Amino acid sequence: MSEEILKALTQLLAIVTKQDGGVSDNERQFVINFFQQELEKSAVAEYLKLYDTISGYNLQRVEHEDDTSNKLTSVKDSIKTLAICKKINKTLTQKQKVVVLIKILELVGSDKNFTPQRMEIVNTVSTVFNIEQGEYKLIESFVLADQISKINYPDILIADDAPGALASLQKHIHAHVEGHLVFMRVSSVGMYFVKYLGEGTNNLNGFIMKPHRVYLFSHGSTVKTPDGGALYYSDLIADFNEEIQTTKLSFIASIDEFRFDNGVVGIRDVKIAEGPGKLIGIMGSSGAGKTTLLNIMAGLEKPGKGKVKINGFDVHKDKASLEGVIGYVSQDDLLIEELTVYQNLYYNARLCLAHLTEIEIDFRVLKVLEDLGLEQRKDLKVGSVLDKTISGGQRKRLNIALELIRQPAILFLDEPTSGLSSRDSENVIDLLKELSLKGKLIFLVIHQPSSDIYKMFDKMILMDTGGYPIYYGNPVAAVTYFKKATNQVDSSRGQCEVCGNVNPEQIFNIIEAKVVDEYGQPTFKRKVTPTQWHEMYRSGFKASRIEDEKEVPPRSLHIPSRLVQTLIFTSRDFLAKISNKPYLLINMLEAPVLAFLLAFIIRYKSAPDGSAYIFRYNENLPAFLLMSIIVALFMGLTVSAEEIIRDRRILKRESFLNLSWNSYLLSKVSILFLLSAIQTFTFIAVGNLILEIQGMTLAFWLVLFTTSCFANVIGLNISSAFNSAVTVYVLIPLLLIPQMILSGVLFDFDKLNDLLGTKGKVPVVADLMTSRWAYEAMAVYQFKNNEFQKPYFEYEREEADADFKSAYLADELKKRNQFLLDQLNPSNDSIQKLVRVNKQILYKELKNEKFTIGLPPNDLKEVFVKNGYTERIGNELDRYFDAYKKHYQKSYNRNAELIEKKMAFYETNGFDIQGEKNSYFNESLSDLVRNINTKERIMEYKGNLIQMINPVFQSPKPRHIVDYRASFFIAEKNLIGTTISTYSFNLLVIWTLTIFFYITLYFEWLRKFVGLFSNFSVSIKK
Amino acid sequence: MQPLQLPATDLTPAIHFDKEKEIFLIEGRSVADNPEPTFEQALNWLQEYSKSPNSTTKFCLKFEYYNPATARLLLNLFKVLENMKGAKIIWQFLEDDEDMEESGQELAELVTIPFDFQPY
Repeated sequence: MSEEILKALTQLLAIVTKQDGGVSDNERQFVINFFQQELEKSAVAEYLKLYDTISGYNLQRVEHEDDTSNKLTSVKDSIKTLAICKKINKTLTQKQKVVVLIKILELVGSDKNFTPQRMEIVNTVSTVFNIEQGEYKLIESFVLADQISKINYPDILIADDAPGALASLQKHIHAHVEGHLVFMRVSSVGMYFVKYLGEGTNNLNGFIMKPHRVYLFSHGSTVKTPDGGALYYSDLIADFNEEIQTTKLSFIASIDEFRFDNGVVGIRDVKIAEGPGKLIGIMGSSGAGKTTLLNIMAGLEKPGKGKVKINGFDVHKDKASLEGVIGYVSQDDLLIEELTVYQNLYYNARLCLAHLTEIEIDFRVLKVLEDLGLEQRKDLKVGSVLDKTISGGQRKRLNIALELIRQPAILFLDEPTSGLSSRDSENVIDLLKELSLKGKLIFLVIHQPSSDIYKMFDKMILMDTGGYPIYYGNPVAAVTYFKKATNQVDSSRGQCEVCGNVNPEQIFNIIEAKVVDEYGQPTFKRKVTPTQWHEMYRSGFKASRIEDEKEVPPRSLHIPSRLVQTLIFTSRDFLAKISNKPYLLINMLEAPVLAFLLAFIIRYKSAPDGSAYIFRYNENLPAFLLMSIIVALFMGLTVSAEEIIRDRRILKRESFLNLSWNSYLLSKVSILFLLSAIQTFTFIAVGNLILEIQGMTLAFWLVLFTTSCFANVIGLNISSAFNSAVTVYVLIPLLLIPQMILSGVLFDFDKLNDLLGTKGKVPVVADLMTSRWAYEAMAVYQFKNNEFQKPYFEYEREEADADFKSAYLADELKKRNQFLLDQLNPSNDSIQKLVRVNKQILYKELKNEKFTIGLPPNDLKEVFVKNGYTERIGNELDRYFDAYKKHYQKSYNRNAELIEKKMAFYETNGFDIQGEKNSYFNESLSDLVRNINTKERIMEYKGNLIQMINPVFQSPKPRHIVDYRASFFIAEKNLIGTTISTYSFNLLVIWTLTIFFYITLYFEWLRKFVGLFSNFSVSIKK
Repeated sequence: MQPLQLPATDLTPAIHFDKEKEIFLIEGRSVADNPEPTFEQALNWLQEYSKSPNSTTKFCLKFEYYNPATARLLLNLFKVLENMKGAKIIWQFLEDDEDMEESGQELAELVTIPFDFQPY
């Protein structure tokens, strides 16, 4: 209580007692007692002086006589009361105000001087405090009454020796109490008060209760009667809340044996049968199988032999009927570090409680936070374990809250109190106890419980090393059981006679007592082995029979539809990312900074005379395109590679809740894609601006975005497959470097290892590389669709075709025909072979030739495949090739002329052709896609003549309908019989790959594969 | 706007509110245990009035005595007046009634409206 409030309260007390007849000595004594309780000794006098001045204690004898006529409260006091109450209203919570009101009433009651004026003031106080009139009456009669029959309210509970309640509305419980213990509930604030009417010595939380004094009966309080009986807070709450119906629930576990993967027995012969409304603890030394038992009961692990049934449904088999019945709180930290306490719980609630409205969810979240004492922290970020913003205890409580908010019928908790202060632990257990009193069945593994906590359990299951159950029953009785079993003195006493404390440690001291050797040193041998304890347990305990309920248990889980889940996941993830400022900053700045660096470095005075930067002559453009693809891949991978690893624990829980994996992945993918879109756009925008690449931004962006999305999905794949971030980051180069090697830019596809390479076509291994598809798309698009090239592309293509045929192919074919003529009767095998090859080549080239004038009329198949080749035909062909050459020379000239005319036309219309070429056309890229630098223009490979020059001008020659393969930088491709542009085709390929990898991600193929691998290596070790 | 006129009783004061005539007066003694009904009417009228008040409102209080419950309700009235432009409270008291004068001063401290103290 602050000084200010205490002052206000003192004044208030003084004003009340001053009315009618003034302060009596009893009343003054009450105030002194109150001060002594609240203040240190030195301050008491000061406040008492204040009290005396206002109440006029010293003057009152003099004033007393002439005061009798004045029966009215002075107007000054009225206003003073009002002023004080208003001040109190501003600072105190409603709960505190209730306490203040009770204090005032107690003061008035201390001398039973209830004059109308006094009551008028108290009444005014309660109205200003906004205490409801009905509740005020309840409080008033509770504080003032000295006979229990006078307090007839449903919010009153009497505990005494009498057989039943004296007044009709009261609640009553039987207890060995001298006199009566009266409990009151003030429901508007959820507080409980107790007062004792009688002469005995009862203890409230270790302090003796004075008769007629009102005490706050706070969370976890205990009243102890002289004979050792105890009334627990949680028990009494249950008596008040009798209207809460108990749920129909039966939990029957009979686990005969459970073995770990390595064959070691984890649990044996456990039989548990429980109904609703119980709080059951599981204790045991470490390695006794507590957590394993909990996991089996919760259905997370399958017992080898045995069954766990809830209302007749098998936990491990009828998962559908039991969906949402079980709640499980593991020891893992399941919080999303970037979100606040409230947000963590809120999104969890949205995912579990789809049937509630937004307002209801908000209310429920706040309620749970308040119950767990986290409401003050609700807007703090959770933070990582190292970078703490909330304490370890608060983290733990929030983790529990995630599951509590659902209020499942059966709740399993693995050490919910580890790492909590004793106060916090008590709060948590008390909350669980309260839940159990509302009909929930709760199992929890607990270590070193304090006496108070230990006694709150309804039953205790003790496990011993090796998975042996050794005790199952009342917790306090466990102490006597083990004492008796080892023939200890005072074995009938479970708790301390003086303080009622139980020492759970004692039990373990007995269980694990070691044999002492002749020197008095404890040996490693135990006095009583786990098996012996277990034998004792089997002969002494029988699980009580529990009626097997057949009803479907109440479910507490209402999962939203998949679409809604995706939306919730997305907004949760989005919020988490947004609130992580460094992450956001780096990811947003990474791309433009890299683009700037790259573009700035490779921009130079590229004009032939070195005077200025001209895009056309920038020789770095091909490298820039490759780098941008690598950057897109790299950013896409790094941004996604840790995503799933970080969420692994949360995912485990979400799969326990049956939340959709697909929705989760979709949310991840959509956020990552968004990020990729932004990153790649900023990259290419900056890069293009600096390098003056015009008219390409959108097309380039689409390629880079696609590439980055692909990398995102790959990143998610590896993120889902491995459990550590380090592994994933080590993997990144392994994924990226092949992309660089096989991009087709660093190393020519025609000069790869012969095992891989296919001359004239992109090797199949390279077809697996996104970089190659992306690069081809960008390069071809830039060459073909730039503002300068666009109008002439078709002409140039024909020109290039004609040029190739007239300048290289005609001669080549002619030469081969000549060879055939020379070798009409081949003498040896090797020459025969060459003849065959040459025939084949000629056949292939002439088969689809459009220029047929002068071609021998014979069937070509007859001529080249069967033995129809004669000298006459050979000579005819020789002449034909001359005509062929001439024809294509003409064609070449015609196209060249057309292009010139067109340019001239443009020029006369005011176009600056040279200027256009300088700003849109790039020589290096042109050289690259036209493969100008190749030495061999034409090449024989596996019985085919391959055109090495001008790939960009070639047309696809599919061998069958789905043949997509062609030379690198070809401008068009075959897609199931139709020809589409390389740009669209390649984008399509990357998106197909992306979808494929999304599917592998969905089915976690990579994870399963890696799993197989690690299992394999384990079996090698053995 | 209809004027409000409540005659004084043994327990409640007289109330006379009239917008046109610019009369806003509460006069007499208020000792009822439950003065709410009377003051409710006054409060309702004032709230209605506050929607289109006169440019100045001289709210005149002339109590012989009032009890704690009344004090609380007075604060409610003042709350309405606090938001009104040109509102002022005229606190009238018998010249030698120090209690009444002081209680007026203390009330004045609880609210933000200007008080004028007039002994009579």
